[in-house]
Amino acid sequence: MTEENQAARFFSEMAANTEKLVKAAQLFGQTKDEDVAIGTTPKHLVMRRDKVELFRYKPTAEATAITPVMLAYGLIGRYTMADLQPDRSLVRSLLSKGLDLWLIDWGQPGRTERWLTIDDYVDDYIDAAVDRICQETGHDQVTLLGICEGGVFTTCYAALHPEKVKNLVLTITPIDFHADVKDTAAHHGFLNIWTRSLDPEDIDKLVDTYGVLPGEFMSSVFSMMTPMRSLTKYNVDLIDVVDDEAKFMNFLRMEKWLADRPHHPGEAAKQWLKELYQENRLVDGSFVLSGRQVDLKCITAPVLNVFALDDHIIPPDCSRALGAKIGSKDYTEIPLPGGHVGLFVSSKSQGKLSQSIADWLVARDATSASKA
Amino acid sequence: MSKKHEPDAAPAESAPHWADLWQSFSESSKQIAEAWSSSMAPFMLARLLEHPGGFAIGNEMSDAIEKMAQGPRLADVWDFDRKMALVFGAWMEMRQKLANYNAVAAAPWTEASKRFLEAMSAATAGGSNSPPNWREAFAKWSEISNEELIRNQRGEGFLHAQKELLQSGLKLRSRQDDIAEAASAMFGMPGRKDFDEVTRQLTELRREVRALSHKVHAQERSTRPTRPKADQTVVRSDTQPNTQ
Repeated sequence: MTEENQAARFFSEMAANTEKLVKAAQLFGQTKDEDVAIGTTPKHLVMRRDKVELFRYKPTAEATAITPVMLAYGLIGRYTMADLQPDRSLVRSLLSKGLDLWLIDWGQPGRTERWLTIDDYVDDYIDAAVDRICQETGHDQVTLLGICEGGVFTTCYAALHPEKVKNLVLTITPIDFHADVKDTAAHHGFLNIWTRSLDPEDIDKLVDTYGVLPGEFMSSVFSMMTPMRSLTKYNVDLIDVVDDEAKFMNFLRMEKWLADRPHHPGEAAKQWLKELYQENRLVDGSFVLSGRQVDLKCITAPVLNVFALDDHIIPPDCSRALGAKIGSKDYTEIPLPGGHVGLFVSSKSQGKLSQSIADWLVARDATSASKA
Repeated sequence: MSKKHEPDAAPAESAPHWADLWQSFSESSKQIAEAWSSSMAPFMLARLLEHPGGFAIGNEMSDAIEKMAQGPRLADVWDFDRKMALVFGAWMEMRQKLANYNAVAAAPWTEASKRFLEAMSAATAGGSNSPPNWREAFAKWSEISNEELIRNQRGEGFLHAQKELLQSGLKLRSRQDDIAEAASAMFGMPGRKDFDEVTRQLTELRREVRALSHKVHAQERSTRPTRPKADQTVVRSDTQPNTQ
């Protein structure tokens, strides 16, 4: 190609891309906030305890599993990732497979929640929610489905209250916070390295200054883990989605979820970063909640542990460590392709995660109708 | 009509038109403002400003720290001079740490540029092949930059620099909070420390009440006759699932 042709091609492509960026700006102006709805699967409020709310989802299919399933997300980001849009929703998928699905929503913690600890979340909020589900449904036990930090909470709950847990399902859940050193992928485990680089006093100072672990601060740390993706999201990547309405709306929904970054309650953040990320107490049996040691060997319920093989936030080995620590004789691991968030929201993974969970639960918890 | 009266007549006749125009303009402005604020544009603008694209050198954390460190600004009231001096000192220290951090954060771009030029040279085989189109070139640039940025982040130099930046940012914010507390005290208003103390007491009180409530319910349950378990109830396929 001659230099003139190269120059012509360059300017032609630049003009086309500029036009697309202008179109994107127009689309942003035309799209209303209510057009970009996430977390829309119908549910009703059953209980409110401070800012924490317990919801029950409206069933959409014949029941296949007896025991109610309570979904627990973490305190970093919001549960709406599991219900991003109708065709990319773990919640809808599980409902379509006949599960009785409940949700515990932590709300929007602020400085008022500064003194809440993981003890409160596990032994008060989750325990109260479990009791309420049992009261509403007539069951004595529930199935817990934890995501990420929510998985750590449900793991602790299953260890401290094994009599109330029928099954434990974990997704992208860290158990051994130092297992990242075994992961050779350069883009995995930055959060582990970064946390260990801080002094405990730095974490105390951060939380004591702001009263919380600021949501925007953690958001910036997450953005650092995918540096070029973060830099190109609003320019080069936008060029690829602007001509496709479905892709454009998917982009906006994802942005809406990412922008919803609640603060992490202060004292709970200190435990999370110091006792778990830095000192790795959960896996070595020295993590204490409400004066009681969290002994993973006390988990005797069937456990399903799902993790993502390309998870840069929770390296797979951090999740995989659970199997050797629990007392349960029924332990299943399902490693799935994809990343931390992609496991839930990517088009490629849709169906696999929910099918795996539903099949596993039905095999252990079927109604008499689904057994027939 | 005499020429003497014409200049007076024109403004009088056009005044209603101006009033109509002004009203129309005001209504249009209001509609534009409402359309803007109810659209996704302000949200996206905020997101774009949080994530500078193109040539940003990976200093999102320092931007976030800077934003968080910019606390309340107060007029110079007596006894604040010393506190203000402390704030200024902390600010100077933070700027220095930020400069150090930016220097470390900028390093991978040099290496990435070098590698990219080598890659492009290899792709064109020294000029004998056509250069790749912009997408192929950008994909290569993105891949190389990502590797270099991630490698840099995991290095001791980067981790140390961002830790020092965080520490200095927190120190600045803490000095600013001292001023806010002093101002609150001067005007007899509760400050942040008071608020934290109230919430601490409330949280502890709530824990005590719930622990007591739990004990009472446990005692009630132990004296209550047991109810049949849920799985002893027959679930027929023709009944509505999951209803009480």
